[in-house]
Amino acid sequence: MTFLKESYIKKQLERWDKMKTVIVACGSGVATSQTVASKVEQLCKERKIPVKVMAVDIKSLEQNLRIADVYISITPITKEYDIPTINGIPFLTGVGIDEAMDELEKILRE
Amino acid sequence: MLDRELIFLNFEADDREDLLSRLSDILYEKGYVKQSFKQAILEREKVFPTGLPTLGVKVALPHTDTEHVIKPAILISTLKEPVVFKEMGNGVNDIDVGIVFLLAVKNPAYQVKLLQKLINMFSKENILLSLKECKNAQCIYDILKRELY
Repeated sequence: MTFLKESYIKKQLERWDKMKTVIVACGSGVATSQTVASKVEQLCKERKIPVKVMAVDIKSLEQNLRIADVYISITPITKEYDIPTINGIPFLTGVGIDEAMDELEKILRE
Repeated sequence: MLDRELIFLNFEADDREDLLSRLSDILYEKGYVKQSFKQAILEREKVFPTGLPTLGVKVALPHTDTEHVIKPAILISTLKEPVVFKEMGNGVNDIDVGIVFLLAVKNPAYQVKLLQKLINMFSKENILLSLKECKNAQCIYDILKRELY
């Protein structure tokens, strides 16, 4: 019994480790990035894509990008980053949201 | 967070700065935000614009850091004439905004559900159009109550 339980936990932890991380950033990290993050989380769940989504403020973006696989941007981009960047506005307006999700899914399933 | 006293119709403003200043003053006078809120809103809107090219009626979602907020609120105002905001995400395109949602966010973790519903509402063209056509605050309140709770 104990053995099964431990292996189960280990498996879950491994799954969590393998999950890709999406970072959403906005100016203050209090409203838009949080809502986009939970929207993305919900849409990924619907498409059965395992993912970790984090909302951060722009000041801590660079440090968080080091652990991220995708960056969803909702602020004017002033520089290029090493990881794939997706425009997050469709998650706020609903316009082009399916295309944005297709793009995200493609990156996450790579 | 919804309050009839924070709903305004056909608000007239010269430009974005005038609009945000006067709406921030209302939140300050009613005790929702600190005096520093207005300046913070104006500054943030310049660096991180919040205009959204939503279908039906374009909206703006100005907000700022929690330190300027005393108690959470959403101030909603339809605008008599569109007010030009810059587009969120690119900061270049002009957005003719017809409804502004001024957010005073205090605790993001508690408010994220409500904000999520607000954002979901932005994808509904017919709802935005009905909000814009409301003739009184009660009409806007009833629609928001239905959409956000």
